[in-house]
Amino acid sequence: MYEEILEDIAHNSALRETNTAVKLATGTGAILLCLLSPGFLAPLFVAVTLVLALVFLARVDIHTLLHVYTAPALFALFSILAIVLVSGGGECFWRWQPFPWFALSLSRDGINQGTLVLARFAGGTTALAFIALTTPMTDLFAVMKRARIPDEVTDLAMIIYRTIFVIMAHVVQVYRAQVMRLGYSTFRESVRSFATLCGAVFIASWEAGEDLVRAMEARCYDGKFAVLGRDRPPAPLSVAAVTLFFLTTGALAVTTAEITLL
Amino acid sequence: MGRVILEARDIWYRYPRGMEAIRGISFHIWRGEKVAVVGPNGAGKSTLLLMFNGMVKPDRGIILFDNEPIRYDRAALRELRRKVGFVMQNPDRQIISPTVFQDVAFGPVNLGYSGEEVRKAVERALAQVGLQGFERRPPHQLSGGEKKRVAIAGVLAMDPDVLILDEPTTGLDPSGSEDVMELLDELHHQKKTVIISTHDIELAYPWADRAILLTKGKILQEDVPDIAFGDPELVRMARLSMPILLELYIELKKRGFSLPERKPKTVLDMLNVIDRAFQNRLCYTQPGRITVLDVDAPCPVSLSEWRSRHPGVPVGAMGTRAKQRAEEERITPDFTYGVIDKCILRALLGEDSLIVTTASMAGRVRERVQEFSREFNLEIEVVTARGLPDDR
Repeated sequence: MYEEILEDIAHNSALRETNTAVKLATGTGAILLCLLSPGFLAPLFVAVTLVLALVFLARVDIHTLLHVYTAPALFALFSILAIVLVSGGGECFWRWQPFPWFALSLSRDGINQGTLVLARFAGGTTALAFIALTTPMTDLFAVMKRARIPDEVTDLAMIIYRTIFVIMAHVVQVYRAQVMRLGYSTFRESVRSFATLCGAVFIASWEAGEDLVRAMEARCYDGKFAVLGRDRPPAPLSVAAVTLFFLTTGALAVTTAEITLL
Repeated sequence: MGRVILEARDIWYRYPRGMEAIRGISFHIWRGEKVAVVGPNGAGKSTLLLMFNGMVKPDRGIILFDNEPIRYDRAALRELRRKVGFVMQNPDRQIISPTVFQDVAFGPVNLGYSGEEVRKAVERALAQVGLQGFERRPPHQLSGGEKKRVAIAGVLAMDPDVLILDEPTTGLDPSGSEDVMELLDELHHQKKTVIISTHDIELAYPWADRAILLTKGKILQEDVPDIAFGDPELVRMARLSMPILLELYIELKKRGFSLPERKPKTVLDMLNVIDRAFQNRLCYTQPGRITVLDVDAPCPVSLSEWRSRHPGVPVGAMGTRAKQRAEEERITPDFTYGVIDKCILRALLGEDSLIVTTASMAGRVRERVQEFSREFNLEIEVVTARGLPDDR
């Protein structure tokens, strides 16, 4: 259960106790700076700084971090390759035209554009990973509440969050029971087993919903749900560090706007 | 025993799909009592217990709480559910919030407590079940035993008079089951009425003050456990098996051995029965000493320091705070359940032992040891642990 792993890392992160708003501001601010920067050095700086923060401050295992990057990196690799080979302009280093209406080329502008996208991908993904690996979902509910998102939405989000794990556990149990009885040995069998799995999970979810109502009734439910734990106030040092990070990245974005790889 | 707190008068209930679940049941439960409702799967135990906090309304008959018939309007049910807490069999179905704090706070928030009152209620409930420091943990990261404790804390936060637990040890390992039963003992000691449903007769037999044997929606027997479980015919009819100690006692009796009248509930009791049967003495040596270390004492003795001065002496931790203290001092207790009896057994072998416990439970240790010493004409010494090297 990959979602559970990410959530667990966030719960065990050394930055868990840092104020949630500060962490969210760091992540979202970094993403915005990556998008606004015309040069590739500022997003790269964001990526390097946040990876160092994740490894040394949040104490996230480097292997886990690499694992988190694998899927988006594969996606980014193909996208960037397409950008580099398809977009043209400037000096051309290599060109191949398999059809009269289609050509692949390696040009200066294409490589520079690819580098910028790669840097933005690295910066943006790292910023997102920074939020995901240091801030558990449970802390985000408090932010949702403070952001005046309607109670109904927050309450529902909390119930869904809790129920996901209950249902996931059920899915894993049913799936294992099917695998043990060779439920996925052939394609035909796999289709049949998957349909049964969906049916069983639907019934289990329905029952879980009924039990949820009973559990809430038994505990005097009166329309109130969201009581949230207290967040730590932002530490001056962390606020100063984040401000310095933003100022440095901003300055870098302005001063290195014209710098390209080639 | 105080007055009657819960009473059922000729209650009947039929499931919506037509099967009759409860068929004319009448009984009462005294305030401060520990009751086990025992029966096979499908006997109607859970349905019966759900009637006590108004989750299920009987088709016929009445349920009384504190000598008043239960009313089923919204306000009355809220008040009833505050006083009669229900812990479901599967804690995953009871824990509804994304963190432990939020889940335990659920009841108090809905009862309209202020923020500060909610915080205090949650802190108290988590301390009662020994889960301080778990406030921000999400339930899916907890073990089965911890989830069960969160579910119990969620009910305790509303400070109920009666605590009902449906199959409290289902899905737990033996150590987890022992911890939960020990916790129920502690809660009972805090004057709570505790009712459990179970089909684990070995668990119910030594724990309960009274057992209600249920099968096919009817009461077969209702008495103290050694009588309720002592009739082989009734036990067979209820599709259960007799507790092993009780069965052994009955078999020895059938063979004409002279046995004490009190039927054995624990290994210590059984040892007494065997010694009596074979006319042995219970103790052949100078009995060992039991030292009590009170974790609530104003100047508590360091457990690790005591242990280093008394190497090899077994340690029993009795109660949640005692277990936490042992954990804090990185000491693994030798006993965590049935601690007093296990230490008496050691004393009978001439060995010393230490019981770590709270101030309120320390009195219980002395009472139990004195009662045993009087009954068997022995002298087992109980002393308080001190920080000085002269307490042996």
